[in-house]
Amino acid sequence: MTDTVSIVIVSHSADVAKGAADMVRQMVGDEVRVAFCGGNGEGGLGTDVAAILAAIESVYTPKGVAVLVDLGGAETNSEMAIEMLADGRGDNVRICNAPIVEGAVMAATEAAGGAALPVVCATAEDFQA
Amino acid sequence: MKELEPAMQWVCDAAVIRDPTGLHARPAVKLTKLAKTFEAAVEIRADGRNDWTNAKSPNKVMKLKAAHGEPLHIRAAGCDAEAAVAALVALLHRDFVD
Amino acid sequence: MMGELPIRRLIEACAATVAAHVEELTALDQAIGDGDHGLNMQRGLKAVAEAAEEIAALPFGKALHKAGMTLVMKVGGASGPLYGSLFMAMGKAGDEAPAAPARLAEVFAAGVEAVKARGKSDAGAKTMLDVLVPVQAALAEGGDIAAVRAAADGGLAATGPLRATKGRAAFLGERSIGHLDPGARSSALLVHAVCDVLEEE
Repeated sequence: MTDTVSIVIVSHSADVAKGAADMVRQMVGDEVRVAFCGGNGEGGLGTDVAAILAAIESVYTPKGVAVLVDLGGAETNSEMAIEMLADGRGDNVRICNAPIVEGAVMAATEAAGGAALPVVCATAEDFQA
Repeated sequence: MKELEPAMQWVCDAAVIRDPTGLHARPAVKLTKLAKTFEAAVEIRADGRNDWTNAKSPNKVMKLKAAHGEPLHIRAAGCDAEAAVAALVALLHRDFVD
Repeated sequence: MMGELPIRRLIEACAATVAAHVEELTALDQAIGDGDHGLNMQRGLKAVAEAAEEIAALPFGKALHKAGMTLVMKVGGASGPLYGSLFMAMGKAGDEAPAAPARLAEVFAAGVEAVKARGKSDAGAKTMLDVLVPVQAALAEGGDIAAVRAAADGGLAATGPLRATKGRAAFLGERSIGHLDPGARSSALLVHAVCDVLEEE
C-alpha cells in the first residue's frame, strides 16, 4: 500500500477538531491518517502549540502532512509548531487555506488516492460549496 | 468531449441513483475514491446534461447535481476501463454501502 | 541608563503588571476580540515568572529566547506566537545584554521585525505593532525613558480610532473603531514595566 499524505486538524475547539476528524474517517475511511487537536489545554477555547506539534508528529510521513485550521490563532500557532519540527520535516508540512471541515474532507479524499501534498492542498483550497 | 486516441474506446453504462438526497457529499467522496483506484480515465454525467465530469476530482464530483431516481452516466477509457465502469455501477446499485 | 539588565526583576515586573490588569485586558478583548487576551497573557507571563530563576541564569540573549519560547508554548491564542517571536528574535540578535541605547534599539528592532513577519502586519492595523513601532522609533532616535513611555502611550491611544484589519477584531470592521486594541494595551503595559525597572537602576 503506497504511503498517503496525512491530515492534521487544528481548531480552537476540541469538539470541532474531533468532530471534523470523525467526519473525515466516516466519509473517507481509515487509510488516511488523521490527527486532531483543539482547545487551549485547560478545557477552554484556543490553540496550544505543544498539542499541535504532537499531533503533527503523531502522523508525520515524508509523503507530507496537510494541516487544516480554523481562525487566525490556529494558523499562527500551527506555523510555530511547524517551525519547531526537527530535521527539515517542516518542509513536508503545509497549512491549507481552506475551511476546516470541508477542507479536511476534500484533502483526505485526495490523499486517499495517493496524491502528493501540493495536490492534496490544492483540492482542499479549490473547494467551493 | 475528451479527445481519445484511435485505439481507445469509451466503455459506457449508467445506474440509477437510489439515495433520496441524490448524489450528496458522502456518496460523492466514495465515488471519487473508487474511481481513483483505476488507471482508466473515468467520467460521469448527470442525466439530461451534456458535460462529462472527471470522476476522480473530489471538487467536481461534489458539485455535480445528480438527482434521486435519475440515471448517472458513467464512462471510462483505458486498460481497466471495463472494471472501472463495472465497479462504479455496482457502487450505485448497492447505494454506496461499503 | 544601561547597567546590568536585571532579568529577574524585569520578568517579575512584566508578570505583575499583566496580572494587575487582567480584567482590563479581558474587557478590551471582549469588546473587539474573543475575550481571552487577559487570561492568555496572564498564563504566559506566569509561566515565564515560574521559570525566572532558570531564565535569569542564562546569558541575556538566551534568556530572552527562552522567555519567548515559554510565551509561545503557554500564552495560547494569536498573541502567543507574536510575543514569543518578539522575544525570540531579540534573543537571537546577540547573547550579550545591550550596553548602549543604540544597541538596545537594534535588538528591539529585530524583535519588532519578527512580530511584523509573524503577524503579516505593520503599524496602523490596530495591533500591538501600533505601540511597538513608535517605541522602536523612539529608541532609534536616542530617546530617553520618558520618550519611550510617551511613544507607547501615544501608540496605544492611536489605536482607538483605527479600523481593525487583523485578528478577530477584523470581523467587526467599522465596529472596532472607538475601542483600544488589547494587544496594544498589553504591549504598553509591558513597556512601562520595563521602563519602571530601568529607572530604578
